[in-house]
Amino acid sequence: MLGEQVADAIDRIEDIDGYHARFLPLRFAAVATPLLIAASAALASWIAAAILLATLIPFALGMALAGSVASRAAARQLDVLGRLSGLFIDRIRALPLILGFGAQDRITRQLAEATQEVARRTVAVLRIAFLSGAIIEFFAALSVAMVAVYCGFNLLGLLPFPVPETLDLSRALYVLILAPEFYLPMRRLAAAYHDKQVGEAAIERLAALTPGTVVATSPAHMLAAPPAIRFKSVVIDYGERRVGPISMHIAGCCVTALSGPTGTGKSSLLHALLGLAPVVAGDILLDGRPLSPEALRGEVSWAGQATALVPGSLADNIRLARPHASDAEVEDVARRAGLIEVAQTRRAGLATLIGPRGSGLSGGERRRVGIARAMLRDAPLWLLDEPTADLDEGSAMELARHIVEAGRGRTVLLVTHSAAIAALADHRVVIS
Amino acid sequence: MNRELAALLADVSKPQQRASRVALCCAATAATAAILLLGLAGWFITAAALAGAAGIAAIQAFNYLIPSAAIRLLAIVRTVTRYGERLYGHKAALFALAALRARLFGRLINASSPEYTRSAGEAGALLLQDVDALEDRFVRAPAYFAGMFGAATALALALPAGPHAFLALFVIMAAGVLAARSFARRVLPRRALDIQEQIARLKQDFVEYAAASPEIAAYGFGPSIEALLARQAARLDDARVSFARNEALLGAGVSALGGLAIATMIALSQASLPLTLLAALAAAGALEALGATIRSLGRDAVVAAGLERLAQLAGIPGPTAAPVPLVGESIALGDDPRSVILAKGDRLAITGRSGAGKTSLLECLAGWRTTGGHSLRIDQRPLAECPPEARRRLFALSPQDGGMIAGTIADNLRLARPGLADEALWHALGIACLADDVRVMPERLLTWIGDGGARLSGGQRKRLSLARALLAGRPWLLLDEPSEGLDPATEAALCGNLDSWLRDTGNGLVLVTHRSAMLPLAHRFLELPD
Repeated sequence: MLGEQVADAIDRIEDIDGYHARFLPLRFAAVATPLLIAASAALASWIAAAILLATLIPFALGMALAGSVASRAAARQLDVLGRLSGLFIDRIRALPLILGFGAQDRITRQLAEATQEVARRTVAVLRIAFLSGAIIEFFAALSVAMVAVYCGFNLLGLLPFPVPETLDLSRALYVLILAPEFYLPMRRLAAAYHDKQVGEAAIERLAALTPGTVVATSPAHMLAAPPAIRFKSVVIDYGERRVGPISMHIAGCCVTALSGPTGTGKSSLLHALLGLAPVVAGDILLDGRPLSPEALRGEVSWAGQATALVPGSLADNIRLARPHASDAEVEDVARRAGLIEVAQTRRAGLATLIGPRGSGLSGGERRRVGIARAMLRDAPLWLLDEPTADLDEGSAMELARHIVEAGRGRTVLLVTHSAAIAALADHRVVIS
Repeated sequence: MNRELAALLADVSKPQQRASRVALCCAATAATAAILLLGLAGWFITAAALAGAAGIAAIQAFNYLIPSAAIRLLAIVRTVTRYGERLYGHKAALFALAALRARLFGRLINASSPEYTRSAGEAGALLLQDVDALEDRFVRAPAYFAGMFGAATALALALPAGPHAFLALFVIMAAGVLAARSFARRVLPRRALDIQEQIARLKQDFVEYAAASPEIAAYGFGPSIEALLARQAARLDDARVSFARNEALLGAGVSALGGLAIATMIALSQASLPLTLLAALAAAGALEALGATIRSLGRDAVVAAGLERLAQLAGIPGPTAAPVPLVGESIALGDDPRSVILAKGDRLAITGRSGAGKTSLLECLAGWRTTGGHSLRIDQRPLAECPPEARRRLFALSPQDGGMIAGTIADNLRLARPGLADEALWHALGIACLADDVRVMPERLLTWIGDGGARLSGGQRKRLSLARALLAGRPWLLLDEPSEGLDPATEAALCGNLDSWLRDTGNGLVLVTHRSAMLPLAHRFLELPD
């Protein structure tokens, strides 16, 4: 699912931000700073420093106790919250259904009850979860109080037990002012708990993703000559959608038109040739040899339903398909793809700069860029997925003639819904 | 924040006023106690040192019991009130936002046109995220209050130090807060917005190139596209760094102010040493409390971006006035010369190639979409005069994909109409040939069917959706491929059951199917052209 991939690639990475920017430095500070403060305090009064350090023992015990209870409760709560957000997303997805049966009021009431219930349960969890915060607060306050009382009594000489040090005012004040800093980083760390939770969940999610295979650019060209392709009972399974089994033969050095109703898997077959569709059964043979999934990447001419545009001129975008092509070659394919007329309506012609994300080009114009690329690359195998969609009938026919003309002598697989365009091809294959 | 959202927020927070007040009181007490604790400790130590230096008589005259007890008391008060502040602050926020979520969902669901709600699906998913961001804002509200209280306490403790010290502290705090706020307002929102924009752009790029992935793979563009995405990601990082740098600058300024306050108090105080230290330490504590609110100005800037989106949702108008009801006496489908006119109780089967618009015709009739380019007349009135709300009361649709909500079998059936008893549900399941299936399920009617009915088979979903349409009590039944995924025996039984149900109720039927087994249900036929 594209939405999920975008979320993984961008949102999950954003989630890690707080983890690295706040939680990790604070975790380090929470360990290092108290020791540093205690060491500094020891310079003036080692007993005050010992008092500070001694409070750490009951503090750690309390935190371990409250922390484990709280984290169990928090984990349960995360489940509950996850279910609630799932409920919202589900009901929003089912809006047409709810409206159709006039169930708006009932569903809204139901959701209101569910959210109140979750809020009630969350508050119950927080009662426990905030205990660990309270323990930090308590020891933070207690350490200041104990240092103050110790210093005061030491200065008065009224301590009920003998101590080996006598303080003066400046040393007493020095340790007193240091005392609140002792627990400060731990209080900050507790406040960054949310960053930790979100960050760890995101890291877990990202680690679970299978690393993308690095596309090895095959040194020798796989395709020396236009290949014949055979699909043998190929089944493609996307999980929620299954295509096939499909068997067919595509003759080499010919233009083959592929047609059939929507959803029968025409585009999926082209994707399968590039290793972009999950083939779960059957074989794809190229000139009788089994095709490895990524073997054809970088080896074919392609024009499909979406064209990747990069910032730069129209000519730059066409030239991407063959970086060392001359200007004349680029102009030639641009003319055949009908882009010269388009370019002439802009002042700079083929040098016209395309805005970010191809703004300024219509859907049909983007298709023409894709076709010009396919012609410029002029690979032995052409895969064209409805290259003339988004164009009116007349322009589509004219462009299709140019494509068939340019593709003579190559293996061209052309997916089209138009009977007239299919008639231009050498062979027709219909998937049902 | 726009007016609708502000009004909505005020409305949902009203029931939580008690909890908010408790949180505010706790926050104020905690801040005051923290400052008193530090100030008193400073005073106590200094006074003790002076007494200790003055000799045995002074020591014996020095009342150490009250201050040392007060110090311990303040430590406990600070702990308890901090806990109360957090708990009650979260309580008020959670309940108010729970109500807000439900209200916003109500707005979304009452938006007049079904097309709007479809496109709002995306916005709906954001709804949760943005409301969550608001929680932060609610929870931080008491901290602001606490900062003010802390400042007032410190000023009160500075009074004995003399007018110069008092005035200096006032100026440092007021000027510090004002300067920090104006700096934060001028610098941070722009950068927070920039971050949002760069993220949105990165997402757009990602979606766009992901859609073109076959082409990228075919030509081996991968590395150059990766470089482009990396460049955009770097722009996002720049925006983040710029925000973080300014936020850090703000924090550093606040810390420096704390040092300045201590130094100024000691320099300008005209009081005795213990009182001077009381005032100086109290001032440092107050700046610490104010600092917390100043540091959170950065969070405010981030939350503001989410508020913008919520405001759009809050601006959706409420439900429109009830439409003129339709009776459904006659329904005309198609253009005049070849149109089919159905009278009450007629049964029509629609056939045609896939893609001919059969499903969209049914959805249009049922009011699940406003128009679909079909020529339709209901009660002699053209479609434009029959609003979707009115059409929904005439037709009960069992859609092609089944259409399930995540819940139990009963939840899905009760969507049809309020006040349905279990017997009615079982009766409808019987007609839809699903009762036997449900009887062997672990919790029968209360069986959880998963997201979108994922735990049911395609055929079971179809029949459940059919049972729901039967329960809706509308004069016309619209079925979209009802027997898809059924074996021939069940299909025949279903056909017979539906035939008797239609005869008993006298309801009309519009059926879309490409299976010949269901065709005997209909008396009239319409083939849609391509």
